[in-house]
Amino acid sequence: MLQIDRIFKDEASEEKGERARMASFVGAMAIADLVKTTLGPKGMDKILQSTGRGQSVTVTNDGATILKSLHIDNPAAKVLVDISKVQDDEVGDGTTSVVVLAGELLREAEKLVAAKIHPMTIISGFRMAAECARDALLHKVVDNKADAEEFKSDLMKIAMTTLSSKILSQDKEHFAQLAVDAVMRLKGSTNLEAIQIIKKPGGSLKDSFLDEGFILDKKIGLGQPKRIEDAKILVANTAMDTDKVKIYGARVRVDSMSKVAEIEGAEKEKMREKVQKIMAHGINCFVNRQLIYNFPEELFADAGILAIEHADFDGIERLALVTGGEIASTFDNPESVKIGRCKLIEEIMIGEDKLIHFSGVEFGHACTIVLRGASHHVLDEAERSLHDALCVLSQTVNDSRVLFGGGWPEMVMAKEVDELAKKTPGKKSHAIEAFSRALLAIPTTIADNAGLDSAELISQLRAEHHKEGCTAGIDVISGSVGDMSQLGISESFKVKQAVLLSATEAAEMILRVDEIITCAPRRREDRM
Amino acid sequence: MAATVASQPRSSKTESYIDNKRKEDIRHANIVAARAVADAVRTSLGPKGMDKMISTASGEIIITNDGATILNKMEVLQPAAKMLVELSKAQDSAAGDGTTTVVVIAGALLKQCLLLLSHGIHPTVISDSLHKASVKAVDVLTAMSVPVELSDRDSLNKSASTSLNSKVVSQYSTLLAPLAVDAVLSVVDPAKPNMVDLRDVKIVKKLGGTVDDTELVKGLVFDKKVRHAAGGPTRVENSKIAVIQFQISPPKTDIEQSILVNDYTQMDRILKEERNYILGMIKKIKATGCNVLLIQKSILRDAVTDLSLHYLAKAKILVIKDVERDEIEFITKTLNCLPIANIEHFRAEKLGYADLVEEVSLGDGKIVKITGIKDMGRTTTVLVRGSNQLVLDEAERSLHDALCVVRCLVGKRFLIAGGGAPEIELSRQLGAWAKVLHGMEGYCVRSFAEALEVIPYTLSENAGLNPITIVTELRNRHAQGEINSGINVRKGQITNILEENVVQPLLVSTSAITLATECVRMILKIDDIVTVR
Repeated sequence: MLQIDRIFKDEASEEKGERARMASFVGAMAIADLVKTTLGPKGMDKILQSTGRGQSVTVTNDGATILKSLHIDNPAAKVLVDISKVQDDEVGDGTTSVVVLAGELLREAEKLVAAKIHPMTIISGFRMAAECARDALLHKVVDNKADAEEFKSDLMKIAMTTLSSKILSQDKEHFAQLAVDAVMRLKGSTNLEAIQIIKKPGGSLKDSFLDEGFILDKKIGLGQPKRIEDAKILVANTAMDTDKVKIYGARVRVDSMSKVAEIEGAEKEKMREKVQKIMAHGINCFVNRQLIYNFPEELFADAGILAIEHADFDGIERLALVTGGEIASTFDNPESVKIGRCKLIEEIMIGEDKLIHFSGVEFGHACTIVLRGASHHVLDEAERSLHDALCVLSQTVNDSRVLFGGGWPEMVMAKEVDELAKKTPGKKSHAIEAFSRALLAIPTTIADNAGLDSAELISQLRAEHHKEGCTAGIDVISGSVGDMSQLGISESFKVKQAVLLSATEAAEMILRVDEIITCAPRRREDRM
Repeated sequence: MAATVASQPRSSKTESYIDNKRKEDIRHANIVAARAVADAVRTSLGPKGMDKMISTASGEIIITNDGATILNKMEVLQPAAKMLVELSKAQDSAAGDGTTTVVVIAGALLKQCLLLLSHGIHPTVISDSLHKASVKAVDVLTAMSVPVELSDRDSLNKSASTSLNSKVVSQYSTLLAPLAVDAVLSVVDPAKPNMVDLRDVKIVKKLGGTVDDTELVKGLVFDKKVRHAAGGPTRVENSKIAVIQFQISPPKTDIEQSILVNDYTQMDRILKEERNYILGMIKKIKATGCNVLLIQKSILRDAVTDLSLHYLAKAKILVIKDVERDEIEFITKTLNCLPIANIEHFRAEKLGYADLVEEVSLGDGKIVKITGIKDMGRTTTVLVRGSNQLVLDEAERSLHDALCVVRCLVGKRFLIAGGGAPEIELSRQLGAWAKVLHGMEGYCVRSFAEALEVIPYTLSENAGLNPITIVTELRNRHAQGEINSGINVRKGQITNILEENVVQPLLVSTSAITLATECVRMILKIDDIVTVR
C-alpha cells in the first residue's frame, strides 16, 4: 500500500490524541494561573504594557480586562478568554472566578485522563456534579425582594463585596452607596447606558459623586446664556458650515468680483436659513455633533440660544436618550422632530474644567457619576470597578436571590457534590469527586492570595460546613474562619450560577477535543 | 496535586507572606525603577535645590527646577516609573506646586516598602496601613495649619514667595509674589469666592529686558505688531474695539470659483469692484464708530490685504490680525464685547470700549496694549520679560506655580509652615501613633513616619548642611513642642519657620501626602507585567 505522506497543505499541522489534549490542558491552565493571583480582596494587580504605539500602561485587577488584551495562540486558552468575556457581558462580575474554576476543572480532568478514564465519562460526571451544585445553591438562596429595606441592604452588601477586591476598596462604602443609588434610579431596567461615568483627574477618589441628570464635557458658545431654565433641546448631527455641492470638481465660473461676493453672500444666506429653520423648532438649546462655525454661533448668540458644538458621538446619543429627544439632521419639518426637554442647563466647574450640566431631564432615571482620582490609571481602574458593581447590582435588582460570599457558596456546593459522589456508582463518581475538589480551589486561592495558610483554613471551613445552616466563610481581614452573615459579605446568585455553568461548559468543551488542526495561514499575494 | 494541598503546608496562620520568585522580582524591579525616577529629581528640592538642563530630541534646551516639567520631559519607558511621572502631573493639576516634593515622598515610601516586603509582610497589609497613615497624616496637618483671610495680603505674599524661592527667579520673588497675588485676587468672582479659573490669567512672554520688568497689566496685551500701512494709527485713545471673525479681503466662496477674464477692460472692472467691495466693508465698520479691529486668524484667506490696510489706515482704524480662535473667549470676556462673525451684524452694541490702545516698543519687538477697559471682565494679563528664552520659560513656569499657590489658598484658606516643619511633625506624631497600633499595622505606620523624614533630610542635604545633625536637632525641637521649627536654609540652622515667613498652602502638603500614598499603594499591588497588543 502506498504510504500517504501528508494530507495537509504546507504549514498546516495537526496534533492528535494525547498531545492535543495535553496542549489544551496546558494552555488553559496557564491562563487560569495568570489571573489566579487577582482573585479575592487581597488579590494583586497587573500592569498591562501595550506594545503598540504610545506604549500605554494599564493597571488593573479585572480578569476580563487582562484576558481581553492578551496575545494568545493556544486554542484552549482562547476558549477561556471567551468565557470570561461572556461573563463580563452577561453579569459583569466573576470574570476571574470563572476562569480559575474552569482551569481547576481541567487540572482535575487531566489527572483522571492520566488514570485512563474516558473523557466522556468525566464529562457526564461533571454534568451531574454541576447540576447538583446548582440545586444546592438554589436551596440556600435568600430572597429579600419583598422587604425593601432588607433588599437595599442586600444590594449594599453585594456592591461592597464586589468592590472590596478592587482599587475602590478603601472607599467601598462611599462607592457602594453611589452604585446602589444609581441602580435604584434605574427602577429595574438593566440599561446601564443611562448611567454616565465621567472621569476627571484631580482630587481624590472620595470626591467622586453621583449627580442626577446629565453632564456634557463641552463648552458653551461665546456670548450665549450660561444658564437656561426649562430648556427645549434640539440634538442634531449636521454640518454647520456652508452646504456645499458635494460633487467632485464642482466650481463656479464668474466674470466679476461682485459676483463672487454675491455667491459668498448666498452661502451665508443659506446658512442663515438653516439656522432660522433650526430656531423655528422653538428651542433654546442646540447641541450639534459637528462643529458650529463662527457665523452660525453668532446667529444663535443673537437669538439667545445656547449652542454646543462638537459634542462627541457618545455624548449626543446619550443626551438624546436622557432628554427624550431625537437626533435630527434635517430641519424642514419642525413638527416631526422630537425635542428633548430638561429643567435646567447650567455651567458647572469640576476641578479645573467647565462642564455643562443638564438637570431635571425627561428620562428620570438617568444620572451621572463623576469620578475623581489622582491619575488616569486610577480613574480607568475605578471606572472598570464601578462598572462591575453596577452590572452586578442591576442584575440583582431583577433577580434578587442572594448568597453569602467569601468562599461560602463553593463550600456548600462542594459538600453536596461530595454527597452525590458517595451515592453514585461507577467511574463517574471519580469525576464528581474531582469536581468538588475543583470547587474548593476558589476559597483556597482567595486564602493563598491573602497570604493565609489555605490548607488549615479550608479544612476548618469544611468542618464548620458539616453543621447544618452554617454561614462560615473566609474572613480575609482577620485571616480566620468567619460568619459571613455578620460580616455582611454577599454575592448575587446569578453571578455564581453563571460562573458555575459556564466554567463547566468550557471545561467540557476543551475535554472533548482530541485533535487540533492548525490551518495554513493564507498567503498574501506578492505584489510586485 | 489536589486542590487542598495546592501549596506546601505552612507552619502558622499569621500574615506571613510567601510569594514565588518571579512576582518578587517584578515588584522589586518596579520599585527600583520608580525610585530611580524619584532620585533624579531629588536634588532640585528646596530653595537651594539645583536645576536640571534638559535637552529634548528636537534640540530644544530647557533649564528648570520644576519637578513636573523635568519628569514630563524625561522619556520613561518602565511602567512603574511612568506612574511616578503621572503622579507629579496629578500634583500639578491638583495643587500646582510641590511637584518635586510628591515624587520625593513617593520614592522614600517605596524605599521603606522594599524593607517591609523583605520582612515578609503582605503587600495588601502594607497598602492598607499606608492608607490609614495618610488619612491620619492629613488630620495632623490640618490641625497644624493656620487659617488665613484673603484680605491678609501679607500672608498670601509670603506663601507665593516661598514657592518662588526655590526657582531660578528667586531673586525676583519680592516682585513676582505680590504680582501673582494681585493677579489671582483680581479674577476671583465674588459670586463663587472659592473658585479661581487660572485660564482667566493670561501670561504673555516677551523676550528682552529682565525679569524685573515683568508687570501686571489691567487689560489686554498682544504679542503682535499693529498691522498698518503708511499713515495708519498705532495709538488710539477712547477706542471702540471690535472682535471680528471675518476677513477684510476680497470675497472667497466655500465652493471653488474662478473668474474668467476675457479682455483688458474687464480686468480693470474687476480691480475696481474689489476696491469697492473692501471700501464698502470698511465704511460699514467706520459707521459704527469702531476704531480698533481684532481679526481672528483664518487658514482659508488673508485677514487683510495691502489694499484693505490702506483703506483702514485712511479710516484711522488700528488693526491687529491673526488672533487665535482659542483666545477669542478670553478677549471677549475681558473687553466685555461680543465677537462679530459677519459684516452685516456689525453693530455698535457689540463693541468693547477702552481708554487706550497703543503699540509699545519693547526691546526689538513690539506689543500692543489695551488699557482702561470699560466694564472689564474678571481677567488679567501678566507680561513676563526675560533676557533669554530659557529664563523667560522658567519665569513663566515659576509664575504659574506661584499663581497655583495663591489659587490653593483661595480654595482652601489655610496656611502651614514650610521648611520641612510639617513633615518632621508628621513623622513625630505618626511615630507616636504607631506605638499604640497592633500588629503589622504599627510596623508599617512607623515606616511611613520614617519615610517622611526624607523631606527635611533632602532640604538640608541640598543646602549643603549636615543632614543628620539638622534632622536630629529638628526632631529634638519638635519633641519639645516647637511644632513650627523648620530648617532655615539661608542661615543654615533651625528656627521658627513661621517667623521667617516660609509658609505654604495646606492643600499642597495634604495633596502631596495623599497622592504619593495612593501611587505607592498602586505600585505595591502590582505583581505582574503583561505585554499586550
